[in-house]
Formats: sequence, structure tokens, C-alpha cells
Amino acid sequence: MNEMSYDIAVIGGGCAGMAAACAAKEAGAGRVLILERASWLGGVLRQCIHNGFGIHQFQEDLTGTEYAGRLIQMTKEAGIDVLTDTTVLQISKERTILAVNRNGLIRIQAGALLIATGCRERPRGALAIPGTRPAGVMTAGTAQRFLNLEGYLPGKEIVILGSGDIGLIMARQFILEDVDVKAVAEILPYSSGLTRNIVQCIEDFQIPLYYNTTVTRIEGEKRVTGVVLSKVDEKRRPIPGTERFLCCDSLILSVGLIPENELLWQAGVPMDPGTGGAIVDDTYQSAVPGIFACGNALHVHDLADYVVQESQKAGRSAALWVKEQPKDSAPLIHVQAGNGVRGLVPQKIRAGSAAVSLQFRPAARYQDCRIAVYSDDRIIFQKKERILTPGEMYSIHLKGTCFEKDLKVQVEP
Amino acid sequence: MLEYDVIVIGAGVSGACTARELSRFKLKTAVLEKAPDLCAGASKGNSATVHSGHDAAYGTKKALYNVLGNKMYDRLCQELCVPFQRNGTYVFAVTDHDMDELARLKENADRNQVPGVRLLSYPELIRQSPGWSPKVKGALFAPTGGVVCPYSLVFALCANAAENGVDFYRNTEVCGIRKEGGRFFIHTGCGDFSSKYIFNCAGVYADDMNNFVSSRKIRIIPRKGSHIILDKKLAPYVDATLCQPPSVLPGGGHTKGMGLMPTDGGTVLLGCEAVDIGDKTDVSTTRQGLDEILSYFETSWRFLPQSRYFPEFPKNLIIGAFSSVRPHPDTDDFILGEAPDAPGFINIAGFESPGITAAPAVAKDLVRDSAERFGWEPNPGFNPIRKTEKPFREMTEEEMEEAIRQDPDYGKIVCRCEQVTRAEVLRAIRDPLGARTVNEVKMRTRAGMGRCQGGFCSPEIVSILAQELRIPMNQVTLCGAGSEILGKESCLEESQEEKEGSGA
Repeated sequence: MNEMSYDIAVIGGGCAGMAAACAAKEAGAGRVLILERASWLGGVLRQCIHNGFGIHQFQEDLTGTEYAGRLIQMTKEAGIDVLTDTTVLQISKERTILAVNRNGLIRIQAGALLIATGCRERPRGALAIPGTRPAGVMTAGTAQRFLNLEGYLPGKEIVILGSGDIGLIMARQFILEDVDVKAVAEILPYSSGLTRNIVQCIEDFQIPLYYNTTVTRIEGEKRVTGVVLSKVDEKRRPIPGTERFLCCDSLILSVGLIPENELLWQAGVPMDPGTGGAIVDDTYQSAVPGIFACGNALHVHDLADYVVQESQKAGRSAALWVKEQPKDSAPLIHVQAGNGVRGLVPQKIRAGSAAVSLQFRPAARYQDCRIAVYSDDRIIFQKKERILTPGEMYSIHLKGTCFEKDLKVQVEP
Repeated sequence: MLEYDVIVIGAGVSGACTARELSRFKLKTAVLEKAPDLCAGASKGNSATVHSGHDAAYGTKKALYNVLGNKMYDRLCQELCVPFQRNGTYVFAVTDHDMDELARLKENADRNQVPGVRLLSYPELIRQSPGWSPKVKGALFAPTGGVVCPYSLVFALCANAAENGVDFYRNTEVCGIRKEGGRFFIHTGCGDFSSKYIFNCAGVYADDMNNFVSSRKIRIIPRKGSHIILDKKLAPYVDATLCQPPSVLPGGGHTKGMGLMPTDGGTVLLGCEAVDIGDKTDVSTTRQGLDEILSYFETSWRFLPQSRYFPEFPKNLIIGAFSSVRPHPDTDDFILGEAPDAPGFINIAGFESPGITAAPAVAKDLVRDSAERFGWEPNPGFNPIRKTEKPFREMTEEEMEEAIRQDPDYGKIVCRCEQVTRAEVLRAIRDPLGARTVNEVKMRTRAGMGRCQGGFCSPEIVSILAQELRIPMNQVTLCGAGSEILGKESCLEESQEEKEGSGA
């Protein structure tokens, strides 16, 4: 078995992994390694040929592929070691990694371990949509990969279930490819995607978008021949009598992303069922010393830029942790998600931290509301907002030495 | 016209067991399967349970062969290198009425001579299997209940039969059979066959086959059952099959009861409901069927030991659902043996649950009887052992290293959720009875069966299949002609080609 040791090992070579690795190196980390299971760095950005990337990070409007290219260039220049076509099979709480590639097994001892494994799409099975199981049902990201990396369309007449960002982006691309997009159905009364994608990908192309609507049956023996759409009530239950058959040969699903954390889960690192990622402090360190998490593996982000910002912070923290090897971790205070707050990160803050950003998603759509952060019963932050939607992540930047008592974040009318 | 001594119609579990038993004799044997792949019908979509036989009604063929078949499983699976585990079955009671039902089952089990069946009081139950809710009154425990992967079993049986000389014809649907001059003439969509003997293992279509040659008509009713699949995260907490007696369930008697079943692959099955339908091809799941399973588990979850770790029914662990159509005989019992007015035509019909369990014993008995009657000679070259490679995910580190040294494709993981390597996918395709479709690769390797349900690996599988079969990616199918996964090429690609074309 090939044995290696690195100051920092990053699992995942997408934008989170590359950004974290570069930032760690810049912060003075010695040897840094990225492990990537695909044959190339870049993760899902490789297949994102649409624009809208990099406005915050590079002050330019780039495609996902160009954005990945920039990060790959930075990774090369930073002198970071990269192992592609290498799959991590297992990690331990002591930060050893068991990985495999065509040369055999590799055991790596890491000073600090960064988990940047991204997320996966929720499949049809998880929704338990009744009906047959024909060809022609696939997730939006898989369709994107088939189209942009292999050059094949999923079909001729498409219905999209869910209004997640990838589904919206693909709706537009299908139209540009001269494919009939019959409808986008969203079970909620609002989209879970970014407003800009609703406007640029759906409204501009006059694609019918039905809210409070879901697919209640898939038909077709070998290949999809159609789907049944039904209206749903406020509890998301299909309303009998509202069924409508739509003829199509493909059903594309964009019904949510799930952080990919099987490695952390197997190693027994405490997880947050709310985010699907590890429970971390404001340095993005998990409850296991020396294991850090960032990017979509920690919680699902809206923009690659936000992933990069967060991952840079995580990379710097990991470098610092390796350098200082703190014996005792600082006391932690809890950040509680109150009413209207979902997927809050970080879940803990080191007492005495100087500045902290909290991120969360509103639990529903809110109008004319207030975001408030309490320390015990005392309000330490508040801001009025006209509209909040679960499709857009909300960030709060807190400064000052106010972090001694547990915090609570909530959305108030 | 292809001539054989024996033709087996159907490559489900009964056909596969029969084919392997026939290969013990000096016979020219062929198996005809209508579907593109082996194990495409009821043998594919079931609870993967090797039943103990406690609930099959005493005196029936089902009961007899259930118990006999169960006993054969250890050796059979050892010979074929198929994972099999006797994890035991608990039938639990929450009411006095259930307890009466358990007493009745116990009596039935004893008459069936099922080994080791015990009635456990609540204290006895939790001593043996901790964590059951105090609302549970007791349970029947059948230690010989087990779990097998039904399609791994069928593939292994067929591979072993093929190694011992049996020919397999897939995509070969029998459209008619007539008997003339002591031989059967079998008309199929891909040419004609003739044989002296036929074993009818045609599942839901066994009545059609029988009725071609016999005036003693039989009738098979398609009975649909559905299961829900849960993520293997639950697996560490499920070490036995758990169910409630069928009589307490809505629409009960049709199934063996709603249950929670571990599987060989680590996922956990919930099911199943059962409903008689008209259409033998209808394997769609229905809202009503899935809701029936879900609502049962939502209310009964609190009784189960798993509720200690997952206080609420873990709906978020659902990764899939499937239905299949089982061949329910209108007589309610297996229809076995020679059709009285068609000598040489042997039925294994109405082979619903416990068919998987009973199949080895039924095939053995019927083939042995035929051999005696028709004077078949043993095949001295018969080798019962099927060697197979261990799946990568089950290898030790040393075995992984060695496998990669011999074939570097073992070092490339294609399906991340189930840790299936490129080497295993290639072997599944290149095997003599190899995979031609994405579903066939999935059934042989588990690639695409995990929590992402093929989201990540399907592009890779499609690409490997395209390379191996030397076809464009958009001719690769999910499950045979008509189920192409992709449409036409991107028009951006085309316009580029046009440009290149005009330039030249």
C-alpha cells in the first residue's frame, strides 16, 4: 500500500476543494493535496456552460467552465498536489484517508482534513412518484452532463418537475436546443430557485411554470409517454379531480440537492439533519478536531462565489489549526435556528470570536419581516426585509465581542 | 428449426433452478426467455426473503416445497457463490387477536415441520431481540427465515447451467406450441424450436403456455405487489425480517403481511401490499399502493426496535419503490407436474410466493421424477460449483490491492454509492450471459442501486456500454429496444459539424 502524509488533504476537487486548498496554501500550509474521483478538477462546474458565475469573486460574468478554469489555474500555480481518478473509500476521526486509484490503495495521514465533496441531486425514488419505471426520467444535473459533456439531449418533449436552479437553467438550454419544454411544475407556491433564473430562463422564454403542482404519475412502458400533473393543497397533498395528462418523452427532476457526506457519516462525525452537513463552528471545523467541511457538502449554496468565499475561510482555518495545533478548543456557544430559519451554518461559535457570518435559508416565503439575532433575550442584530424566499440564502455578518451566550436567529413578522 | 431434448420456458427463479437441475443429465437443453434479460419478471421484484414456511397452509404444495426448499439454500448458495443469510423472521403481535393469530401460525409451522419456531412472550422477545416497544405482546420467531438476492441467485443458477451446457435464448417470446409425432414444436418471435419435453416456468404467462397444449386449462391471475426501498443507513439496525400477521392488515390475506426486510445489498425493503389486476404487464406503482405501505409504517413504526434509533418513520431514507406482478393461481396452490393430457409438458405454474424459496426443491423433484420416467442419463461432467469474483466492496484491503494489480480497472470506482468498479461493470457486460442494457448492468453489479439512484454513474455506464457494444450512446437502452436513454445529439454539436463540413 502506498502511504503518504500531507499537512492538509482536501477531499473533492470542485470549486470548494480548490478554493479551500489554495487558501490553505496561501495561509502558510506546507504540503496540500486534493483528492478527486473524476478525471478532471472542476466538479459540476465543468458541465455548467451557462454564464452568471464569478460576479463577486472575479468581478466578471463567466461561464461555469471558465470559472473552473480560473480555479484550476490558481490550484496549479499554488503548487498543490492533485490526485484525480482517485476515490476516497474511508476516512477516520484520526484524519487518515483510505483512497483507491488505478495504482492501488493509498493511505494518507492528513494534518487537517477538509471535506469538500459537494452534493447530489434528489432522485425520483426519494419522491416515490407512482407509475412505471421507463427510460426518460433523469435529474437535471444528469441531463446537463449528458448534454454538455457527451452531446446528447434527453428527449424531444420535456416536462420538468421542480424549479431548482439546475432545472431552470436546463429549461432554457432545452429551448435553445429546439426541444419542447411543455411545463415546469413546482409543488410549492414559489420557486426554490434564484429569482434571476426564473426571469432569465423561464419568463423570458415563456415556458409555462405551474406552482402548487406536482407529478402524480409517470406513464410509459419502455420510454416515458407522459405524466399526470395534479394541483396540491396547502399540505402538498394532490387534490383529486385536478389531474391533467401531459404528453412527453422525458421527465427532468430538479427537486433538491443533498449534501454528499457518506464519508463523514461513516466516520461518526456529528451531523446536522437540518443542513445535511457536518455540525461546524465559525472556523468550519466539525466536532472532530482537525476535520473541516465547506461548500455544498456543508450546506447547499446558491452561487459558486459563495462556495468559494466559505471554502477560503475553511482552508485558512485548517492551515491555522495545523500550525497552532491547539490542545484545547475554545468553549463553544450554540447558535439556535428559531422560527422561520432553516439550515443555519455555523451551528456553533467559539466564544470570543471577533466577527462571524451566519447563513440560513428562510423556511418559507415571507413579506415585510424582520431578521433578529438574540443573545439570551437581548437583540444583538436586526434587519427589516421586504421579501425573503427559501430560494435565496440569507447572510448575517456579526461583529464585536458579543459572543458569550447562546444565540438564536429568527424571522419575525 | 433448433432441436433440443428439453426446453425450459422462462428464466426466472423456477426456470433457472430447472435448467441447472436438467444440466445434471445428458440432455440438450435450452431456456427461452421473452424479456431482454434473465430474471425479468416476478423473480426480480419481491421481498428477497427465503421464507421459513411457518405461514404456508399445511397440506399444500406451497408448504411442502417451502420447507424443503428452505433447507436446500445453504448448500445451493455455497455452490453458486451467492450471499445468503439466515437472519430469522419475527411475526409480532400488538393485540390479543394478533396473539391468537400467532398461536395459529405456530401450530401451522409445527405441522409443516418448520425447524425451531418459537412463540415468544414480550420478556422473552426483548431478551432475544432488544428494543421492541412494550406495546408489543409477543412474537413468533422462525430462525430459518433468510435473505437472498433473488436476481444474483437467478444469474448464478443460469451461469452455472450454461457452464454445464444449457443454451439460453433471450428476447425469445413463445407465441405458440403444438405437439406432433411425440415432439413439441415451439414457435417464437425469433425462429422455431422443437423438443421432446417442455418445462413451463413462464410465470404470469404459464397459463398461456399450458393452454397451448392442454385442454385442462389453468388460469393465472396477475397479482401486483409493491415495495418501498430505504437507504442502507438503516441496515445496521435491521438484523431480521419483521412483520405483523397478515390478517390484521387492511386487505390482508393476500400477502404474507406487511413487513420490514433487510436485503443482501444492505438496503431495507418495506412491503408489500398486493392487489389482483387484469394486466400482466402492469408493473407500475400506484399512489394507493405506496400510501398503503407508508401509512402502515407511519402508524406501526413505534412498535419496532428500529424506533429507538429513528423515533419517527424515516421517510427521508426512501430511495425508491418498485412493483412486480406475481403469478397467482386461481387454485391458490402451486400447479406442479405433467399436464395430464400432454405427456412431456411439465408445469411449474402459479409459482407465486414462496416461489423463490420453493424453487430449488420443486425443480429437483420434478427433474428427478422426469429422469426416472424418461430414463435420462446423468451428466458425468456436471460441475455444481460456480466460481465468481468477489465484489470490490466486500474485499479486504489485501484483496483490493491484488485485484487492482491484476486489473487496474478495479481501481476506478464507477458507482460511488455502491462502490462498483469499472472492472466489474466490464465483466458484467463481457460475461457469456452478459448485460446489454443499463438495468442489466445494475442487476449484475448494483451500479445505480444506491442512494443517488444512478444520478452520477448512469452517464458512465451508458458510455461504457456504448463502447463495449460499439454503438452510439443514444442507442444504449435502459431495458431493451424502445427504452433508449438519450435522444438526438445536441444541435450545437451538429452546427459545428456543418461548419467543419462546409470548410472542407
